[in-house]
Order: sequence, then structure tokens, then C-alpha cells
Amino acid sequence: MAMKIAKLSRRGFLAGGGAVAVTGTAALFMQRGGSVMAGSAVRGPVDMRLRASPATVPLLGNAQGGVDVWVYNGQVAAPEIRIRQGERLRVTLDNGLAQDTTIHWHGLRVPNAMDGVPHLTQDPVRPGQSFTYDFVPQDAGTFWYHPHHRSFEQVARGLYAPLIVEERDPIVVDRDITWMLDDWRIGADGQINDDFGNPSDAFMSGRVGNTMTINGRPPQPFVVRSGERIRLRLINAANARIFALDFSRLNPQIIALDGQPVAPHEVDGALHIAPGMRIDLILDPEGAPGSRVTIGDSFYEGLEFALTDVVYSDTPLRADPLTTPIALPPNPIPEPQTETSTRHEVVFGGGMMGPSATGKMDWTVNGVAASGHNLDPVLTLPRGESVILTLRNETAWWHPIHLHGHSFRVLSRNGKPTRYREWQDTVLIAPDEIVEVAFVADNPGDWMFHCHILEHQAAGMMATVRVT
Amino acid sequence: MRNVVEIFAALAVLVATPALAAPPEKPLATLFKNPQCGCCESYAAYLRENGYEVKVEATNDLALIKQRQGIPQELGGCHTTFVGGYYVDGHVPIGSFDRLLAERPELNGITLPGMPAGSPGMGGTKSSPFTIFALAQGGERSVYAVE
Repeated sequence: MAMKIAKLSRRGFLAGGGAVAVTGTAALFMQRGGSVMAGSAVRGPVDMRLRASPATVPLLGNAQGGVDVWVYNGQVAAPEIRIRQGERLRVTLDNGLAQDTTIHWHGLRVPNAMDGVPHLTQDPVRPGQSFTYDFVPQDAGTFWYHPHHRSFEQVARGLYAPLIVEERDPIVVDRDITWMLDDWRIGADGQINDDFGNPSDAFMSGRVGNTMTINGRPPQPFVVRSGERIRLRLINAANARIFALDFSRLNPQIIALDGQPVAPHEVDGALHIAPGMRIDLILDPEGAPGSRVTIGDSFYEGLEFALTDVVYSDTPLRADPLTTPIALPPNPIPEPQTETSTRHEVVFGGGMMGPSATGKMDWTVNGVAASGHNLDPVLTLPRGESVILTLRNETAWWHPIHLHGHSFRVLSRNGKPTRYREWQDTVLIAPDEIVEVAFVADNPGDWMFHCHILEHQAAGMMATVRVT
Repeated sequence: MRNVVEIFAALAVLVATPALAAPPEKPLATLFKNPQCGCCESYAAYLRENGYEVKVEATNDLALIKQRQGIPQELGGCHTTFVGGYYVDGHVPIGSFDRLLAERPELNGITLPGMPAGSPGMGGTKSSPFTIFALAQGGERSVYAVE
């Protein structure tokens, strides 16, 4: 079943009206779609090959026929790589595409030469050629990998997968599940529409698709047992779609943002997750056996839809939820000295309905629309310096702004201090919003600093930050 | 998939048949817009001020809709309006909009590319005349009006 995004009336939406058909509840337990097949993850320490190549897969469900995609090792959203903090990751990329590619390890604070940005940190990997990435991830958490060459096409065609770094001393959960969210623009022929880079997407909200997948499959009902504790790792791999998901009936608590631990807290309203972002949730479902809950999305007004249904198994796991701690141990990130930080301002401009520094609709960073990866740095930071960046969104559109090689604390939004001073590597900035972030520039090299709506990036909203 | 096809089918009907239930003089206009674009709402208000009944539909499939109608990327406007069997793409001024429906030429539609300042619904100051293009059924383009 291909789940086209169906419009829900607001009443149906609030009532949690199910839009997903369920067949054989018990049989679906532990199946993919609701959960990653635990056995399919590649476990660390990892020394493996990833072949990027075209393939044909049942992306929309077996009944819909094959969809032509570009993937790693034959599958969309796979292979999930799972290693333990401190273990080495060694991956040789084989380029079986007809165009250049690279792999960027999104969110990991890697050495610059391993960051996977063509022309900036490495030569592009040509068709038929290979490149070996080799490093030890510093941080535990939920990360992902994808190309950084023509990413607006290569990611949209299916080149992405999760990279999970497990804590040395993990928290207790019954299941640890990854949901890699994506949407696809499927045309009337049932294939990925190849209108990459069209101006309608580029200067508005990007390439928002019309067909949802979770882990490269149509969303399936997610079967849970009352009383079980689930760690749900959400990753937004879409080019442009921002989600606002409602998990409120599953007692959700946020324990990590963009892979980095945050003080566990309940979700306040819908859960916003923009392209590139990750959110780790603890779910303690306590519903009645046999009942169901719809996970709805409400980000785009008038286009609310049901992502999937949560279905309670007939057999509870335990009567009372676990009370073991869920706070994650901190990662070894240097703490910025915000009292003595150097301050810089970065202004994002352009797009439809926005004043543009270039006189066109090009997206800009401090007045410059980038046309490639090799750029004069917008900021040059001495190594070891604590910096505060004031990020001003002077456009009429949302932008998830991603910094490579570092995580930063989000200090404030529109002058109001954030409650959790969360670490992020991709911060979602609303139209006209001003966000302050702080970090220690401790990782030497030239690092990309760009909007993770991949059409915005390609149309100019991209810069580099140099750490000397 | 099925619903994608349904959208296309619905659009085909919109294009093929003049809106039968519309008021006698002015047909119903259906305006497809990005859910987050504000200027399209202003254009809808402009059409209403000029006597049209306008139905606004938010969609994330604007690029697909334009492609389906054969509107070249470089000639596309912001939103896409279907009216009286034609499309009118972008912020086309009412003179051309009305003339299209009065004269009913052998065209698929007309378009004002981009989002020029000073065009209806856009705000700002008009710096040069607007060139509105006509697109015929075979894809031939011509200048429909300069105003």
C-alpha cells in the first residue's frame, strides 16, 4: 500500500481517526516499517564497503511495482550502521553512479578530511572510483550519512541511511527503534519525478514530496505493547519536508536532539523535526490492549495528514511503566565560555517574498549566494575560541541551518533563553526569527554551514566557516 | 499513487470543462498555492475584488502541477490558477485575465513568470512593464500582453 498523504479534516485529525489499514495485528509485531529489523544493522567495529548505485525497489509497497532509486548496497535507508562509542568506523565508498558522489557523516564531529564535502574536504569520488572514510566517532547518538554532491538529487533518489553510535553504558529500554522519515515526489508514472532544481521548489519551501516512507517503506502500523519502553530515534532524511508530529498519547519524552543528550523532558505540543535533524524519544505507551493511536502531522496548514498508526498488541508487557533513569551520559563536547565568547552575526536572506541582496531570488548568507562548495569563509575562527553566532532569518521561509564538524548550544530564540540549552547541529529557524548559538571552534578546517533544505542550499544558502 | 492520479484527473476536468456552477459572468477560479506562500492569498483577494469567486487550495505539488500543464520552468509564476478551462500562472494582472476568458483563444493558458514587484498581490513598485506569455497546446509560446 502506497500511503499517499491523505488530507484529514481537523476533526478527524484531532480525533485520531485512523487512515492506515491494519491487517493481522499480531503478525505485524516487530516488522519493518514500525521498527528497523534489528538483525539488518551492520554492527561495529565496522570495516565495510558501501556501493552507491541505481536499483529498483518496492518503495511504494509490493503491489505498486518497482521504483527506480539510487541507494547504498541495494536498499533505501540502509544499511543502518550501529557501533559502540569508541569503536572505529572504516567505510569504503564505491561509486556505481554515473555522476560524482561523496559521503557526509551528518552530525559527527569528524576530522575535516573525513567530512565528505566535494571540492572542500576531498576530491569528488568519480564514477567507478572509491574513497575510504576512516575515523572513530567521538559522540554517542543518532546520526546519519548521505552524499554532499548534488545532494538535492542524490538524497532525494534514496542515498541515505542511519548511523547509530550506542552509549558505552546504555539506558534500559525494551526496544531501540529507528524511524528514518522521508517523502518522495512520485509522478503519474509511479516513478520519482525528475524535476530536480526547479525554481518553484528552489525559492519556496523546497522539494516537498507527496508520498511518505519510514525506513524506505510505506508506513506500516506500529505495534506496541502496553507497559513497554521504546527508544524511538527519529531522523528526517527528506530534502525539504518539516514534520510536526503528535506523539502526545504515547507519553513521549525527548532525551536527545541531533544525537546529543538533553535533559529528559516532555514534548510541548507537536514535535518539530526539520530536514537533517534527529530526535530521540522515550515512549512509555500505556494504552488499552487492542486500541490504536494515530501519529498525525500538522506542519503545513491545510495539509494535515496521518503518518501512521500505533496499534496496541493484545498482550501488555508490564502493568506499570519502567522507572529506570532515561537521562543519557554527556558526550565529550567542550563547553563554550559564553561570558567571554566572540560574537558574530550571520544573516540568511532571499527567496520568494523576501528582500534579496543580489536583486534576484537567490538565497544568501551575509549577502552572498553561493554557487559551489569551495567558498571564501563567511567566518574565520581561531581554534579553541568560544563563539556566539546570532543567526537572523530575514526570509519568509523556514530554514534548518546545519554546521559541519561541531555541535552548538542553542542559547536563545528571539531573545528568550532556551530552557534546555540544547546541543544541536541543525537548528530550525522560523521566518524572521533570531537564534543565538554557542560553541567552541575546536575542530580545524573549512566547514560547511548551510540550510538543510537541499534546494535552498543548492540555490545559494550555503557558506563555509574556517577554524584555523 | 492512486491519489496522485486522482489529483491529475481532477485537474484535467478543471482544464477541460468551463466551471458550470459558477456565476453567470465570471467562472470559478481555483488557485493552487504553496501552503506557506503569503502573496498567493493576496492575489486571490485581488481576483475576488475583481468579481471572481476564488477557491484556494494549498498543495506541496505545485511543481508537479505546473509540469503536468506543460508550463516551462523558466516561465512559471508562483501559484497556478485554473479558470474557465485555462490556467493562469502567477500574478497576471486582471486585464489579461479578463481578456483570456472573454476572447477564449486556442491556448492552454497564460503566465507572468516569477514574482515581479508591483504585480497584483505582490506589493512593491513596478519597475518595468510586465510581459505575459501565452502557451499553446503544442507548447508554442508567444507574448500575450505587455502591460
